Amino acid sequence: MNLSMFFFIGVVAILLLLLAWALRGPEKLREPQPILNGLQEAGRRHVNFLPPIQQALGKTDYEYLSRRAPKALVRRVQRERQGIALNYLSALRVDFKDLLRMASMIARLSPQLAAMQEFERLRLSIKFAWRYETIRMMLWAGLAPLPQLNGLSELLSALSVRMETAVKEMGEHAALAAKLASSLDGHDIDAAL
Amino acid sequence: MQGMGQFQQILWAVNVAVGVVLLALLIARKKFRAFPAFTGYLLLNLSQAVAFYFATRRWGYASRNMWLFGWSSQAVVTLARALAVAELCRNMLARYHGVWGLAWRVLCGSAMLVILYSGFAGRRRWELAFPALDRSLELSIAAVIVILLLFVRYYEVVADPVDRSLAVGLCLYSCFGAVNNTILDRYLYSYQELWIILGMLSFLASLMVWTWALRSPQSVSRREEALLAPGIYESLAPQINLRLRTLNDRLSQFWNSESPRR
Repeated sequence: MNLSMFFFIGVVAILLLLLAWALRGPEKLREPQPILNGLQEAGRRHVNFLPPIQQALGKTDYEYLSRRAPKALVRRVQRERQGIALNYLSALRVDFKDLLRMASMIARLSPQLAAMQEFERLRLSIKFAWRYETIRMMLWAGLAPLPQLNGLSELLSALSVRMETAVKEMGEHAALAAKLASSLDGHDIDAAL
Repeated sequence: MQGMGQFQQILWAVNVAVGVVLLALLIARKKFRAFPAFTGYLLLNLSQAVAFYFATRRWGYASRNMWLFGWSSQAVVTLARALAVAELCRNMLARYHGVWGLAWRVLCGSAMLVILYSGFAGRRRWELAFPALDRSLELSIAAVIVILLLFVRYYEVVADPVDRSLAVGLCLYSCFGAVNNTILDRYLYSYQELWIILGMLSFLASLMVWTWALRSPQSVSRREEALLAPGIYESLAPQINLRLRTLNDRLSQFWNSESPRR
């Protein structure tokens, strides 16, 4: 086979894979929230679970345990920490998907779209999906180094402050969201969500 | 028909028969109103098959005239298929003004890019000019349908099952046509007979998919969507993107523990 043959058959193979992916049924996540709650809550639900996550991932706790507890217990704790990290990742993903669905619904029903905003959203979605899968695989295989998990508690504290600020800003747009909801009839919202 | 194998003749007759059934279905179910370009494409395809029969009788199967007739009529039919695809895109997305405004630009741009790129990537031999052009068109049709279905998925558009099946049939046929032309490009005369048989078989498969999709008497409804007031998208889209970026940043911290903490 020559190069051009490889090229064309390769392009067709990619197109067929994309076709199969595009025809796949929609992903089943949990039941979506109504739109108004969605706008205010999206991206912050997991913040409610911050205190137990912070405690579970605390560096000092783990160090103390490493010194005092038997190895089997330390290993078990490490596994549980891994599970917490995986759950946290899943929560991020659910928040991300909720936001995407909301954005899709708004875009679908808008008379005009800004190409830059749409491409930016697509870029962020691809970036998120790629990183999410890589990190999940690494965590699942136990390849993620421990310091990364230890640093998570500090990271979560810093980010929770940022998220609170962002959520406050979003609250200012609640009026717009109400306008949005009133522009739609109930059937459209149900169909869209 | 002179020079045509028996299997090829049977396939030709079966293709014509299934094409007639499909056309009759489109007319009987009054679906030609929703798909005028697709109906036109089928009519042209049937006309090409009938004309092919008479042309073979007049010029013979392996003559130069037949070769020219075959490829020029193929160009017309492929262009008709491109129009049917454009109609399908419109049917699926035009209700959503914003999405359609973005989609048609992306679809046209992608089609042009694929045509140009496959034109450059192919071999440059005069006897391969028609197959190469046909392959470029096939690839661009397939790419447009795939991008259309990606748009449908990304924006969670509720697509009519008939539209989806027509799109799948058209896409699979174009993909197969591109591969078939690529192999012809490499092996030319030794592959010619098999190339025709495989082309007929893939078209028959697509005809089956379309007939199955159009079997139901249910009419296709194209309900206009109630759109949001202008300005809502402009104010909400940047906010949502900002939130998405924040979630991505969180993931980045996971990704790279060495990056400075904010």
